[in-house]
Amino acid sequence: MIDRGVRDTNRALHWRGNGRVKLLEGGRTSKGMSRRAKTVSAVGATLLAVSLSCATQPGDWLGRRVPQTQHGAAAMDYQAREYDKLIPPADAAQVPCRIDPHIWDAFVPADNKMTVERVALGKKLFFDKRLSKDGTVSCATCHDVTRAFTDQRPTSEGIGDKLGRRNAPTTMNAVLLQTMFLDGRSPTLDHQATLPIINPIEMGFPDGESAARAIAGDVEYQQMFKKAYGREVNYEDIGRAIGAFERTMVFLDSPFRRYLEGDPKAISADAKEGWRLFNEKARCVSCHHMSLSNPLGTDNRFHNIGVSARHQDFEELARRGLKALQEDPSERRLEELALNTDMSELGRFMATKNRSDIGAFRTSMLLNVGITPPYMHDGTVTTLWDVMDHYNKGGEANLFLDGGMEPLALTEKEIDQVVAFLFTLTDLRFAEENQRQMRLQRAQALKSRPLRDDQTANRKKLAFEDRIRK
Amino acid sequence: MKPRHKSVETRYMEERQAFFDDLKKLDRRSFLKVSAAALGITAANGLVAPTSFQPVKLAYGATPEGGEKSFRFAYISDSHLYEKDVNDRFARSLMRAVDDVNRLEPQPDFVFYGGDLAQLGQAAELELGAQILKNLKVPLKIMVGEHDWYLDMGEKWQALFGKPTESWDHKGVHFVKLLSVIEEDFWTARGMKPMERMQTVAGLDNGVQKPFTVGPDQRAWLKKDLEKLADDAPVVVFSHSPLYKIYKNWNFWTDDADEVQAILKRFKNVTVIHGHTHQMLTNRIGNIHFHGLLATAWPWPYAPEGMPELTVQMTRPDPFNPQDGCGDGEVCVYSDGMVDKIHNFWNRNPVTVTRAYMSSRGRQSGPAKPNRPAY
Amino acid sequence: MRKNTRSVLLAALCAACAAVLWATYNYSVAADCDAGIQSVAEVAAGKVGGKGLADAHMDQWKRRNPVRSKDWVAEEKERHKIQPPADNSYLLKGEQGKGHSYGQYTELDILTWSRETEKMVVEGSRIFHSATELGSTVAVSCDMCHPDAANTHPETYPKFQAQMGRVALLRDMINWCIEHPVRGKRFEADDPKMRALEAYIFAQRKGTPLNYGKH
Repeated sequence: MIDRGVRDTNRALHWRGNGRVKLLEGGRTSKGMSRRAKTVSAVGATLLAVSLSCATQPGDWLGRRVPQTQHGAAAMDYQAREYDKLIPPADAAQVPCRIDPHIWDAFVPADNKMTVERVALGKKLFFDKRLSKDGTVSCATCHDVTRAFTDQRPTSEGIGDKLGRRNAPTTMNAVLLQTMFLDGRSPTLDHQATLPIINPIEMGFPDGESAARAIAGDVEYQQMFKKAYGREVNYEDIGRAIGAFERTMVFLDSPFRRYLEGDPKAISADAKEGWRLFNEKARCVSCHHMSLSNPLGTDNRFHNIGVSARHQDFEELARRGLKALQEDPSERRLEELALNTDMSELGRFMATKNRSDIGAFRTSMLLNVGITPPYMHDGTVTTLWDVMDHYNKGGEANLFLDGGMEPLALTEKEIDQVVAFLFTLTDLRFAEENQRQMRLQRAQALKSRPLRDDQTANRKKLAFEDRIRK
Repeated sequence: MKPRHKSVETRYMEERQAFFDDLKKLDRRSFLKVSAAALGITAANGLVAPTSFQPVKLAYGATPEGGEKSFRFAYISDSHLYEKDVNDRFARSLMRAVDDVNRLEPQPDFVFYGGDLAQLGQAAELELGAQILKNLKVPLKIMVGEHDWYLDMGEKWQALFGKPTESWDHKGVHFVKLLSVIEEDFWTARGMKPMERMQTVAGLDNGVQKPFTVGPDQRAWLKKDLEKLADDAPVVVFSHSPLYKIYKNWNFWTDDADEVQAILKRFKNVTVIHGHTHQMLTNRIGNIHFHGLLATAWPWPYAPEGMPELTVQMTRPDPFNPQDGCGDGEVCVYSDGMVDKIHNFWNRNPVTVTRAYMSSRGRQSGPAKPNRPAY
Repeated sequence: MRKNTRSVLLAALCAACAAVLWATYNYSVAADCDAGIQSVAEVAAGKVGGKGLADAHMDQWKRRNPVRSKDWVAEEKERHKIQPPADNSYLLKGEQGKGHSYGQYTELDILTWSRETEKMVVEGSRIFHSATELGSTVAVSCDMCHPDAANTHPETYPKFQAQMGRVALLRDMINWCIEHPVRGKRFEADDPKMRALEAYIFAQRKGTPLNYGKH
């Protein structure tokens, strides 16, 4: 009986805060259940909560069993098999569906053309925990195939269980972005792939050579590198191969795209209204460019929308950051400051030192946004409803706020409609996860909306009023 | 790693690497010089790509070149307030400017307000402005704009803020504040009511109004006020209208500018700081240096004719961001009367128009010219 | 006996209700409909003549369309510099029109075209400079950022409008500005006000070469 009640609950891929497991009940609402079934579910839920509080055991997922490994990731070989189901290896080196072959050329670097060997090598590396100093972290730890190619956590966990400061963006469709990292400090996938390997709190190798040495002994790798690049195992090619593999992660087939391409029934009426609001009253489209020619939902630019201003004094931080960089302007110091200190919150400024970039992060890609919570560069915005509340009140006032952030005076209905639209941006291959997220997020949103501020949203109270009051 | 198409990021990375390489070659002293020079060059003007790696000290607390004794004051201008429940945007922008100024470190000596606090000169608007400006930490000096004046001919403004014309000395520099938006009476003959008169003046392109003047009375007052000063005394003149002639259709104009300039001609260095134009504007006529103030409310386009050569135009603001092309700023005043004018643009890098740029008539340390037409 | 009393009382009540309803129906006039005329009966009874009806309707229209002075065109032109339409008087010269029925232009034609075109442009200027006409909820009019329609660049449309994320025509951008900076309600594409605004904006850029797609 317990089994039945529990089996009816959907695959419970969790959404955790900072290592502690927070169970968000998916599955049927209590309305549809008999009292008996309710008791059963309650018991099941308790058991689940208890069992998940010691969450690193494999096999304790419900419904579909997802074997686990360290840092809350699904087991690497499981992930690799799931990936093959999504993108069959035979298709790997082809131009992805829905992308014009001519345009695709622009996304593939000249020194790293897509071949089956390179993709296979990249895939092996992507899921290989030996690329971390203590052998527990691979790319797929934070870019987990079973968790929308991210980790669905506010910030990511690296070696030694150290938590970083930034939310892991999804690698889905990352190939189509113009810069990598939330502050855009990396120009290509190939370059980006090499950096977490040498980040002390992510994968932890002191330098590229040590990382290459860690896997150079593997005969299989030696052969694969030779076949792919005609060279010995080396750090730069590790990046290239992983980049090649990531170029296969193209997931553009959303219900919304089908609607744009001409199927009027592909999305609901609410979602259509949400799309209209997206383009008009809610002012989203101006930064989240979305059209047939640009499906990503980002302008690839950097804006300060005030998320980190909620947590600290920006002006003081900026002053300190500038001072530190003047004392030691090396690239390494920049990386350190950017990632491991409060200065990380200064965003793009750490990369460009343009004052206009203080606190600015790249406009997030909206494709598949429904399945990649929590949101914003630090993962502090939990649901899409919270995201809407943040924008509805015009972000958070700070000296560097992008002036395009204005209170929107959206009604609850309008917010629901925009959220409905956002959930139509998920690739159909992840429809089940999308449904699950909708339920989880809606339940969470019904419980609490911490960012909601009707006074400011309706322009009764003005954003800077409190800051200047003597 | 050579991608076929150099993305913006690749270019940026190359620039960045080159910059680091150059930096390593500099000793500490040269490094500071590079930073200071870059401060003047750093453009909000579009030649520098948005990701370009330029070292920028925060404009706050910028140490001036030359090292002569100097002080700083901040400015805010042209807020065009409506009552909060009529238009929240303008009020919010003025509050943002006050926040900016309050967080300067060190604090400036005083804040100067360049005029047009209200949009239609209404009591509630002026009071709202006064209320917001009360939150400034340092003393406020405030000037009249035409939007403040023509509803009740300055009654409420003077009740709130005092004299429209006055002079004062501060740390050896002589400051003058003029009421330079005096228009010849066009309203009596037409039987206009006060609000009609105000609406007429409020329209920048409204041809019924008359050109701005300083007027014979104030010119006489100015002459007398400056009488006792030596020729090399540092003088700063605040005026809402530009005190020179740009474009008559928009009253970017002072009709008796020539007469006013004649009074100022004898001084070695005179700086005129004006509002009204809502844009970055720079000019030099003889030894008179003219600087325009940014607005907090909205930016004006550049006039189709009459643009001074020294002006490097700001790139066209994006209408999605109503605060683009707007901001506040600071003026760094030297003991000889020359100034560095810092335009603190919102969502852009600050631009400093340095004394060196002005004294060399644009040959030195100028901002790079934009690669696109402004308007 | 009781039954009879009850039914009589009931009937009386119904009659009273009916009377009340009848009375209120006749006097409950939707203020703007029926142009203030009290009842159809009045008109039928000849109490209100044709002129009365016409006056009543005119009052209603005036309430909805605030007074415009007789010289509104001249007044608007005095306030704002407006480019005149092209001079077509060349059509009156020479012999080209002869023998071509449709080519027989007269002075009155030239005058009418010019006047009507100008009126539309002047109307556009009037709306352009009026926050109320634009329906702004924040008392902002177009000329506050675009004096004399500066910086409107109608000659660059159609173009990819970054703020909208798609290709736009001039009227799309006008609507975008009305929705965002002006914070009013968008106009329909063929709303007379939209057409007048477009007319004014095009007029002010007279002589500028077309250059569609230019940012």
